[in-house]
Amino acid sequence: MQVELKHVFKTFRHNGSAVEALHDINLTVADGEFVCLLGPSGCGKSTVIHLVAGLDRPTAGEVLVGGRPVAGPDPSRTVVFQDAALFPWLTVLGNVEFGLRMTGVAPSQRRARAMEYLRLVHLSKFIHAYPHQLSGGMKQRVALARALALQPGILLLDEPFAALDAQTRAVLQNELLEIWELARPTILFVTHNVREATGLADRVYVISSRPGHIRDVQAVAVPRPRHAEDKALLALQHNILGLLGDEVEKVLREELGETVHFPEAQHAVPPEQSRGMHI
Amino acid sequence: MRRLLKPIQAVALLYLLWQVTSWLFPAWPGPSRVLEILWAQLQDPGFQTALWGSARRMAIGYTAVVIVGIGFGLLIGRLPLLDQITGSLAVALHAIPGAAWVPLAILWFGMTERAVLFTILLGASGIVMVSTDTGIREVPPLVRRAAQTLGARGVKYFWFVVVPAAIPKMVDGLRLAWAFGWRALMAGELLTSVSGLGQRLNQVAKAQQLDALLALMLLLAMVGVVVDGLVFKRLEQAVRVRWGLL
Repeated sequence: MQVELKHVFKTFRHNGSAVEALHDINLTVADGEFVCLLGPSGCGKSTVIHLVAGLDRPTAGEVLVGGRPVAGPDPSRTVVFQDAALFPWLTVLGNVEFGLRMTGVAPSQRRARAMEYLRLVHLSKFIHAYPHQLSGGMKQRVALARALALQPGILLLDEPFAALDAQTRAVLQNELLEIWELARPTILFVTHNVREATGLADRVYVISSRPGHIRDVQAVAVPRPRHAEDKALLALQHNILGLLGDEVEKVLREELGETVHFPEAQHAVPPEQSRGMHI
Repeated sequence: MRRLLKPIQAVALLYLLWQVTSWLFPAWPGPSRVLEILWAQLQDPGFQTALWGSARRMAIGYTAVVIVGIGFGLLIGRLPLLDQITGSLAVALHAIPGAAWVPLAILWFGMTERAVLFTILLGASGIVMVSTDTGIREVPPLVRRAAQTLGARGVKYFWFVVVPAAIPKMVDGLRLAWAFGWRALMAGELLTSVSGLGQRLNQVAKAQQLDALLALMLLLAMVGVVVDGLVFKRLEQAVRVRWGLL
């Protein structure tokens, strides 16, 4: 399923004044493609996910899925949210079966299908646990299984691994790639981590903030499996960081206060050190 | 054991204070005398009948409160139009003290058990309606969005998302309704001639038996504390843990 945004604008009302979140966004994700939206926090990239999911409408412009305008949420476009958003009153199995129940899958098939996806995310042993008993990484596995169980044409991921520790994140990134190669859904993945974006995606849209607009598109011409030390990958990361150098500084200043100094803002970060760089 | 230390200390302190005041004011019965009377009362068949009568009425009345309160709460939460018409009615109902229903209850049902049950129902179901309605309105946006993207719509969305999401609020309401119902039960029994703890209160007060009156009031307090602690606090805690509210 192809995703296309044409001249999309989004303005929010905030305390009576209008705040422009997205400014003239044009992007396409081909059928089965893995695309990352990379940008600093507050650049409106989550808004793009909401628009494609049908949870929100653009102020102007068109959001098309398979050539048709998005009218609302649909189980063919599922979302993995940053903080999992599991249903706390349901077990792991209940959460994964939820979408199947909502879409009218027969009870006998429901169970089998949920178990299949729970195996895929290595949670077969935890099907009767409740969300509050799980670690952050396990919750995201459940959220992923829940989203995949509906066998969506489009999988939307909104900074799914941002709150996890580095090791857990790396493991889940690899598993997501394996799952993607197996089922080949179209993936739109939002992140503020340059290494994550270049490690996963076929193409990376670089988003600038206030208002969110597309700064650049970079194809990641490195075959998978990708190695963190790959020269081309490091060069690409360096390139993107350079592109966003001023933005990195701006965002860090806003987040950390005025005490942050960047002596040579744009070229201060050698590629070796930039790998885990968040923007 | 550690968990029990604080309540034990509190009870011991209360006992001590009571003992001291009874020494200072001889007309005021001390705790040992009152406990003795309470113990004797509990052995008395007539008293046991009254106790079971109250317990039965509370059980019936509270069950009705749960059914009517949650049922009507869900209804006004689900139907915005109905809520506009009757939503404030639930708040008004909740605003009227339970005891204030007794005269109307007696007018309609006479000095009967039904009058007492009516008082409990009207005195305690308002809070359940209001809290159920509030819970339904306050479904966390993230839960709502997740459910929508997973295909939840209409009636299924209501039953499988909105209602379970509202359970912590409902439990809050049920806990308060227990306390309100217990008060309404006493008010109803005090003013009607139905055999129960309320009627006993009336009798010993008229006979000017201060020690027996205190024994009864101690029993009322104990029942309230024990049921709240053993049932509602635990239920609330379990729900909070599972719903991730702690």
